[in-house]
Amino acid sequence: MKTKLTIEKTMKYHILTLGCQMNMSDTERTKPVIEQMGYEWTDDENEASLVGILACSVRQRAIDKVYSRIHKWNKRKNKENLLTFVTGCILPSDKDRFLKLFDIVFPMSELQELPEMIKQYGIVTPLSLKSGQNDEPIYQNTRIKELKEKASELKLNEHMSDFWHINPHYESDFEAFVPIQNGCDKFCTFCAVPYTRGREVSRPSKEILEEVQNLIDKEYKTITLLGQNVNSYGLDKKGEEISFPELLRQIGEMGKKSGKEFWVYFTSPHPRDMTDEVIEVIATYPNLGKQIHLPIQSGDDKVLIRMNRKHSVEKYREIEKTIRRLIPQATLFTDIIVGFTGETDVQFESTRVIMEEFRYNMAYIAQYSQRPGAVSSRWVDDVPKQVKKERYHTLTQDLMKTSLEHNNKMVGRTFRVLVRGKERKGDNLSGLTEGKINVRIYASDDLLIGKIVDVKIKSATEFSVAGEPVKKVELQSA
Amino acid sequence: METITNSIYKIQQVRHLTDSTYVIRMDRGGMKFIAGQNLNLGISGDVEKRDYSIYSGEKDDYLEVLVKEVEEGLVSKQMKLLQPGDKLEVDGPFGFFTLKSEELDSKKYLFIASGTGIAPFHSIAQTYPNLNFKLIHGVRYADETYEKKHYPSGRYVSCVTSDDEGGFKGRVTDYLKANPVDKDTLCYLCGNVNMIYDAFDVLKEQGVPSGNLHAEVYF
Repeated sequence: MKTKLTIEKTMKYHILTLGCQMNMSDTERTKPVIEQMGYEWTDDENEASLVGILACSVRQRAIDKVYSRIHKWNKRKNKENLLTFVTGCILPSDKDRFLKLFDIVFPMSELQELPEMIKQYGIVTPLSLKSGQNDEPIYQNTRIKELKEKASELKLNEHMSDFWHINPHYESDFEAFVPIQNGCDKFCTFCAVPYTRGREVSRPSKEILEEVQNLIDKEYKTITLLGQNVNSYGLDKKGEEISFPELLRQIGEMGKKSGKEFWVYFTSPHPRDMTDEVIEVIATYPNLGKQIHLPIQSGDDKVLIRMNRKHSVEKYREIEKTIRRLIPQATLFTDIIVGFTGETDVQFESTRVIMEEFRYNMAYIAQYSQRPGAVSSRWVDDVPKQVKKERYHTLTQDLMKTSLEHNNKMVGRTFRVLVRGKERKGDNLSGLTEGKINVRIYASDDLLIGKIVDVKIKSATEFSVAGEPVKKVELQSA
Repeated sequence: METITNSIYKIQQVRHLTDSTYVIRMDRGGMKFIAGQNLNLGISGDVEKRDYSIYSGEKDDYLEVLVKEVEEGLVSKQMKLLQPGDKLEVDGPFGFFTLKSEELDSKKYLFIASGTGIAPFHSIAQTYPNLNFKLIHGVRYADETYEKKHYPSGRYVSCVTSDDEGGFKGRVTDYLKANPVDKDTLCYLCGNVNMIYDAFDVLKEQGVPSGNLHAEVYF
């Protein structure tokens, strides 16, 4: 069956990206695939004839946003031509529902198939017109049905290598994300990622190194290697692929050879795979950022067991000691969940003790909430909301004491700072040190944005420091 | 290395050990795993999946999982009704509850299980027949000492709480208190979270360093 072709004068698209840096990075790869069909990006989703969501299943609120948006888009469909898609982190139970609501549902690993899927919906793009494919019978209900059936069977991560071949459109001219690994085999009980992203799959190191070299050549200042369990890189291809520390070493060598100043980070690592070798390599190479984000989640062994974290406080302590010994200048960040199912007052106090002991520069503290699809979502969420709130407040106060102590020590010293942009309010610039400490820079010269400059720190607060560029006059005239 | 994801496995046999506990044997399908790992599985075509430790040994030419039927369960109740020839969707293997190969010959192991938490230890015992281990199995009734004859003589101790049959009358923690553990022993705990917490405290009190304690909780 044929229907009237839809030919748009200007074909615009819009993507709603929910969740973490990985989804942001995935969006950078989704955009060129859509744009090669002739679509143009629009910030206004109401102008778009193709709208999509990169979904996140970490919290119920993010899932709710997907449902809210698709209901709105499906109402628009009564008045105009609109094609909808969803990809990203999707739980199997949501995928079945999404198949009824969205036109196209696919795992990120199938991104390269998106133009073909769009074409099957009768959308004629400049690309298909050029190739003369518009003569084909393109809107067939049976074909759409087949497509949806195929989508329901698509396996997570099966074609990740195709996805990684896509050249991304980086959102920034000086900060880039490079995916190196996808999926998770750790199965922490509070997390649904293994069910939404599938098993750990490592990207070929050759591709990673090429992408990093390209970014170095383009004068990028920070490169963040991304993965759900970034430091388990290579473990799924033992003997066939280099290890994570070796990958870092090769990137460190590339940095050394380039003679350029830039910082390479990675996130998120798991303590279980944080070997001494990784820390030694970071210590060796100046381009490997001296900031380590090492999630601990709880300071109590029993809570860690219930979380299925597969490491003890003692194991974490050994890693922390190695970091302090080999990279004394490194800043240490962590993630902590308070009020996890069954967490007692005594167990929470254990977390306070390790907060004091490990003296974090920053901790992302979250009040536990049930995450759909995670094992713990089947348990009674038995810590009252008020108790979680109090624990969150107490731990934040503890953190603020140590972070202020760290930041006060920066006052009077000069640090290299990457200028990232203007502050939201006022004319000042803002940036990050190599250790990812927020810096307010008393300067307003836009030309500094994207550059690494010397900043003398004048004052400190709990979560930031402030200072002036050194050689201000010369820099502003540069 | 072969990656096996979401594959369909044919059931060879369902072996009922008690009214509510059974072993599913399925085709091996070329799956490589390390004793102690688990699988994520469910009935083919069904969205609901659950994690189960592998019960069979690394060298067996079939795969087995030990399943306890859960009241109101969305997977275990349905799987109990499966017949030879029916199909399961299997993802895996996963997990790190495994022994280090370089320690197998030199170390002494203590395995502590409650209920079906014995599954990974069954796999380990089948895989490493010369391993120096003791397995303490906490159960309520003596008929829950699943296939205890599969373990070498003298290595399996049942701790039975609700009847008088079995090797030791009392809880696992009572046994541990009566039989203190050498500090160098590598202790692996698997099963119910409360048992693990209690045993964890006893072992810590006896001076076993936390680095020698490994736990896999069944939820």
